Amino acid sequence: MLAHGQTPTSSPGTDALEGESARADAAPVLCLDGVTKYWGWKRRGTPVLSGVDLELFGGTATWIGGRNGAGKTTLLRLAGGLLAADEGEISLHGLSPERQRRRYQRMIGFLSAGDRGLYPRLSVTRHLRLWAKVAFVPPSDRGAAVDRAVARFGLEPLLAKRVDRLSLGQRQRLKLSLAFLHDPELVLLDEPGNSLDEDGIALLSTALSVHTARGGVAIWCSPVGEAGPLPFDRRFVIDSGRLLIDGA
Amino acid sequence: MTVLRLYASAALGIIQRDAVLFFSYRLRAVTQVVGLCFTLSIFYFVSRLVRSDVLGSPDRYFAFVVVGLVIMSVLQSGFTAPQLLRQELVAGTFERLIASPLGAAGAVLSMLAFPMLYSCLVAIAGLVYAKIVFDLSITWSTAPLALPVALLGGLAFGSIGLLFTASVIALKQAAGMNWVIAGLTLVGGVYFPVSLLPGWIRWASEVQPFTPAVNLLRHLLVGTPLPESAWSELLTLLGFVVVLVPLAIGLLSFALKAARRSGTVLEY
Repeated sequence: MLAHGQTPTSSPGTDALEGESARADAAPVLCLDGVTKYWGWKRRGTPVLSGVDLELFGGTATWIGGRNGAGKTTLLRLAGGLLAADEGEISLHGLSPERQRRRYQRMIGFLSAGDRGLYPRLSVTRHLRLWAKVAFVPPSDRGAAVDRAVARFGLEPLLAKRVDRLSLGQRQRLKLSLAFLHDPELVLLDEPGNSLDEDGIALLSTALSVHTARGGVAIWCSPVGEAGPLPFDRRFVIDSGRLLIDGA
Repeated sequence: MTVLRLYASAALGIIQRDAVLFFSYRLRAVTQVVGLCFTLSIFYFVSRLVRSDVLGSPDRYFAFVVVGLVIMSVLQSGFTAPQLLRQELVAGTFERLIASPLGAAGAVLSMLAFPMLYSCLVAIAGLVYAKIVFDLSITWSTAPLALPVALLGGLAFGSIGLLFTASVIALKQAAGMNWVIAGLTLVGGVYFPVSLLPGWIRWASEVQPFTPAVNLLRHLLVGTPLPESAWSELLTLLGFVVVLVPLAIGLLSFALKAARRSGTVLEY
């Protein structure tokens, strides 16, 4: 296990090729095929993302880096069904975010960057219960799902606290617990290490390991130089709208 | 577990969230009720000055304006969705809702529920206050029928609120919403009968759902005579609901789809 910010010792790109040959006969979980995204209606100028192809298989964690404004968040939002691609296709287990939206979104866990995205006057418990409902966790499983989320990110001492009384790191842990709460197939993490201390990074690392061990897929986006705590199966960078194998 | 039940459960979660957030400001509920009681008190004393051939006695004007005010507060609550959506966008919480199976449209529709339910309770409190303090004459035999009519009116006004919500998603502002509310107050017969309006503007009282809703509710709650038959007013209101609800949901879905395509769905 690597410390936060440390670079894996394995040669970048080699892992990806080996992984691909090992999974040659398996169907990818997430597929991006020729995805292009412009800002605005008119599709003028340079696209944010251009012809992105990506296939991610079950049980893998992928790191995507890039400079500020490179298009990492846009890529996550496209994969998460928040934005629609101008060109190309996106599918998760063969489902389209456009045509099978509800089933697609049930399989997504999404963490946005920054400390926004929480209700300041709601307690941690209420956030977890609300998200269990909004994520369509069946009522019989909600209690267990919330308990797992609490244990996964060490939220027990914070349950009754309102979000506006939490530190930034505690808020980040709550946001992470919401992303993992419904045991999604695909976890999309935008700068997940923000504000986390060593314990928080360790909890996140364990959560990711458990997630990939049960066949889940994870994408971790962060600026170049913040590679995250895991020996990722694949590593990419976004440069000039293109997704490139890191180090290639 | 059917999908419908999962949607209902998620919507209930949003309603609970809105209730907890609303009541976390402890004086907010009290000030709203007290504010309405003050307004009703002022209009009681204003009504003592009214000697109108159109409405008759001061008591009849008071009954007329009380129902207009409480119903306006209920129907106005349908216009809170655009404001709530803007708050969600600024707070970054809408992102999570779009990424959920409930979806943006489901979340926006759920956001309408708590303000409308709460405003109904405030309206009932206002009527009880007017009854106890000013001896407002309530027609108990027909008053229960006011509930389904208020629901229809709420649907019609919630739809107009959704149209403005679609505008917030597409244009990042609910342009003209306050003008619409002010205009409805003028031509909808909140403070005075629409028959007093000059002929050239009276048509405006017939092309929006507030007038038939408030006419019916006044008739059911305090026995104010209807300008048309009850069925005619009901069908007019129903017609607005049948047209406005699908139109609003369709435009909201279109605005969301367009904003996801243009990349502006999370901008504010």
